[in-house]
Amino acid sequence: MRSGLKSEVFEKLAVIAGSISNPEVVRWKQQGGRVIVYTCSFVPEELLVAAGLLPFRIRATGSQSAGRADDYFEAANICSLVRHCFNKILTGEYQFLDGCVIGGGCDANRHILDNWEQSEARIPFLHRIFFPHSSGNLMAQNFRNQLENLKQLLEDHFGVKITNEKLQDAIVLCNEIRDLQKSLYALRKVDNPAITAAETISVIVAGYSMPKEAYKADLTLLLEELSGVTMPEKKPVVRLMVVGPGHDEPSLCDIIETMGGAAVTDLTCYGGKTLFGSVREADPDPLQALADYQVIDRPLCPKNLDAHPIINREVMNKIKEYRVDGLIGQSYLCCETWSGELFVLQKELKEAGIPMLRIEREYTSDSLGQVQTRVQAFIETISGGLL
Amino acid sequence: MIVAGIDIGSTTGKAVIMIDDKIILGKIIMASIKPAQTAMLAIEAALENAGLAAQDEIQYIVSTGYGRLKVDFGNENISEISCHAKGAFHTDPEVRTVIDIGGQDCKAISLNAKGGVLGFEMNERCAAGTGRFFQVMAKVLSCGLEGIGSPDNISPTPATISNQCSVFAESEIISLVNNDVPLPDIITGINRSVASRVSGLVRRAGLADKVVITGGCYANEGLVSALENSLGLKVNRLPVNPQFMGALGAAAFAMERFRAKSAETQTNMEDAK
Repeated sequence: MRSGLKSEVFEKLAVIAGSISNPEVVRWKQQGGRVIVYTCSFVPEELLVAAGLLPFRIRATGSQSAGRADDYFEAANICSLVRHCFNKILTGEYQFLDGCVIGGGCDANRHILDNWEQSEARIPFLHRIFFPHSSGNLMAQNFRNQLENLKQLLEDHFGVKITNEKLQDAIVLCNEIRDLQKSLYALRKVDNPAITAAETISVIVAGYSMPKEAYKADLTLLLEELSGVTMPEKKPVVRLMVVGPGHDEPSLCDIIETMGGAAVTDLTCYGGKTLFGSVREADPDPLQALADYQVIDRPLCPKNLDAHPIINREVMNKIKEYRVDGLIGQSYLCCETWSGELFVLQKELKEAGIPMLRIEREYTSDSLGQVQTRVQAFIETISGGLL
Repeated sequence: MIVAGIDIGSTTGKAVIMIDDKIILGKIIMASIKPAQTAMLAIEAALENAGLAAQDEIQYIVSTGYGRLKVDFGNENISEISCHAKGAFHTDPEVRTVIDIGGQDCKAISLNAKGGVLGFEMNERCAAGTGRFFQVMAKVLSCGLEGIGSPDNISPTPATISNQCSVFAESEIISLVNNDVPLPDIITGINRSVASRVSGLVRRAGLADKVVITGGCYANEGLVSALENSLGLKVNRLPVNPQFMGALGAAAFAMERFRAKSAETQTNMEDAK
């Protein structure tokens, strides 16, 4: 849903988020730049930026079918986000890629690697890093070793030298962007924000799809513009938070806002889950700083055995911070990682008196009629006064 | 005060007119591919039954059902979950659980003592546990929906239907037919299969007495019996045709809205004096 925001820089970012290849990627490639795709928020972009690459977070924007990918996946229990992403690879929409780093956040992700190696779609650099499934210093050291290995492979393949200084600069840049994105999210704390949830998703997704310096400049400009916007007073509406795996498209937020609610924040893999704290800057061992951030400071993925209390705590914090009235737990069919997590979360929230609606869906915006009915009924139930 | 509620479901369209506290039901209209047209036919039937000449005599209209957003002559749309709850509670204030089995979905709604929705559950995607499932089975068994719902076909030795997917269950039933399993055993097995699925939704939403059934499947005696067995509670029928419960709830909302609006206008006029 659009807020009526009139901003050239927003329109530019919306165009970037609305397709896979985009003008910024084309320009980067024309200037001799190289692009590397990655599949999970636990792959540290900082390392790719320090290698002089454009990190591009995989997504399936605009996909209507996973038909070609389905020929490859051996198991039927692969979530549709993964299937649609791989389909985009097979249909040539990621032809601009120079490499890929697969993150082992879930087993479905790993199947992309297996199938890519078997498929007709060739890629010169394909590597997988393993994520520890628990936190702690030992696991952070293990992850650091994997990052060291990835660093070496990137240096060898792309003919670059990733110095500590470059890594430290990349960490500062990504921290700055994270802080700007947090400021963008904070705008929705008020009753009538200058930017909607769907628009926010576009801005965040664009950040995964263009050079970081250019994105930082655009985001800074957008925030300046938004700070000057005065919105009229608005009657408070039901304020909802979305929790679940990666959603790179805004259909659920559109439904929430069309049905009279407000999607005020989220804890999802493309959104709020990546905006957690900062990586230590100026650390003499920047790889360890990155590993500590991903493994110890930000273990907000249900793949981690000890993540649940942290996810629960973060959800509770956001409920207070954003004055959330209810949660929508949205996951993809066959997403085992999040299904269990959302089940437990719903039980705990119920005990705390916070309503939660569970929605399991496919990547494409199918069955939206039923989702619309359930979201509307959820909003009506919370608003209470209706009945 | 004259208000109306229109329920444009996946299979049928229904409208209810309320003239003060008097409820006038329209007719069941088979849904077309044009929800707006179905809505128009439904409201015309209700107008005729109410003895009203034209739609503009209606002071407030609330639409509900899958086609609710397409009723362009309505004042407001409200989800069918809220409307079925409202309609059932309006008809019987002792209701605490509503089971609505419609053409393409089924819902379980839990109510508090004031009629507010405490929780709800819906089937997702699949047609199992819906009217469509019964239609498919009736076709396979050549017995019509009347045969599926007939009390004469309730058997003490039901066949086991293990598949709840309507596509797979269809082939399972064909196997039973070819094994000469008696028709009442198969039908009772089908009703038990649906009741088992629906009962799961009801328990998740929150089961409490008094339980009522709304939607087109209310007439299925075998299903009601199977639901009672599965839930361990009596499943009651409402005194008003349960198929109109969504439209009735929408009309009840319309009445509340219009009264509130009228009161607000009155207050504003008095303030202006």
